[in-house]
Amino acid sequence: MADTPVLRADAIHKRYADNEVLKGISLTLARGETKVLIGPSGSGKSTFLRCLNHLTKPDRGTIELDGVEISDANIDRMRARIGFVFQDFNLFSHLSVLDNVSICPIRVKRQARDEAIRRAREELERVGLGDKADAYPAELSGGQQQRVSIARALAMDPTLMLFDEPTSALDPELTGEVVKVMQRLADDGMTMLVVSHEMGFARQAADEIVFMEGGHIVEQGPPETLFSQPAQDRTRAFLNVIAEHG
Amino acid sequence: MNIYDVILRDFPFLLKGLGIAVILLAALLALGFVIGLTICLLQLYGPRTRFVQWPLKAYERVFRGVPIIIMLFIFYYGLAGVFDISSFAAAILALGFRSGAYQSQIFRSAFQSVPAGQMTAARAHGMSLAQAIRWILFPQAIRHAIGPWTNEFSSEIKETSLAYVIGVVELTRQAHYIITSTQGNTLTVFAVVALLYFIVNKAGNSGLYWLEARLAVPGFEKRQ
Repeated sequence: MADTPVLRADAIHKRYADNEVLKGISLTLARGETKVLIGPSGSGKSTFLRCLNHLTKPDRGTIELDGVEISDANIDRMRARIGFVFQDFNLFSHLSVLDNVSICPIRVKRQARDEAIRRAREELERVGLGDKADAYPAELSGGQQQRVSIARALAMDPTLMLFDEPTSALDPELTGEVVKVMQRLADDGMTMLVVSHEMGFARQAADEIVFMEGGHIVEQGPPETLFSQPAQDRTRAFLNVIAEHG
Repeated sequence: MNIYDVILRDFPFLLKGLGIAVILLAALLALGFVIGLTICLLQLYGPRTRFVQWPLKAYERVFRGVPIIIMLFIFYYGLAGVFDISSFAAAILALGFRSGAYQSQIFRSAFQSVPAGQMTAARAHGMSLAQAIRWILFPQAIRHAIGPWTNEFSSEIKETSLAYVIGVVELTRQAHYIITSTQGNTLTVFAVVALLYFIVNKAGNSGLYWLEARLAVPGFEKRQ
């Protein structure tokens, strides 16, 4: 079992009308591995991420979590094991921070309320928001909301965490606090796939950088190689753009 | 006996009529709530097939498109021939079915006002569609619905007076009895009746606004 990857996506295709967004993406993640997906907007990164837990249904291709193929029949159970962090947080506005973090364990995993609350407090401590348990989402900054949404995902004990541009809706000064939390998660051995242009994070936390363009994976490799000596011209061109503007 | 003595003497009858009106109101709103919520959920999250969606749309169009007085006649004279149905029951059905059509649209916009991302987030964490509706969307939609629902409440308390035409002895009919037994003085009696309707309306709306304020989510309170 040790070599079964946590995630194996094989030849994922997705088309919207006559726009083929994903042209056969394959990717694996070993336990404890962190990969960062980069690429120009419209390259299919977010679509690929959403295909992995069927938020967007792929047209073709298979996805396995711990060796079990994801299908319509087991989708809810599989999603319960895949943490997802959204660009715009998507916290439940009517629930306090504590309830946001504990509701899924209570309703989905049928965890006892006391246990779920205890665990939620732990996860909030972990993202540095122990003192905000009774606040409501609308009372928090964007960075705090995003950290709550990370805690919400962690409370489910995920096998895998997916991050869909977790900092691109945040001011630069709020980005840091979210990146720090993600960095620590990666260090703690969480298996993570992150769509992000936070190069600092990619450099430090990623085991591998995956560069996507036009629905293909153009190139992948460890950050030190890919950032300094990219094999493909397109990768180099993209990195230059990022370096200028990012 | 002057008209004021009559009203004073017959006031218990007016109150009884008011009681019937309020019971009718509660019953029709409850029926309308169940029908309205069911239609709304089926329209938004039910099967997209025409076999489901078309009848829902037809129901909604018919009950919003036919004058209520005609509906009362149809339900009373139409159903009374087939079933042993009282005028009171016919009034609950006619008004309740129509209220269901209106309430379905109140709920539909309330559910749609919850940001779509929250449904996605709930599903992404493993909730089934039903769980996401129950625990994430419904609690927010119901809060958004209270405001528009005060309209429905206000309309329906007034519409209960139309049950008069099929013989329900509610407030307006009681008033009519008093008027026929005293000749003239129509205005005075109806002024008292109007006041009674107004009081129930005001009390109900105040209660709903209180509920709305009480349930307000921190960070989303109405401006004072």
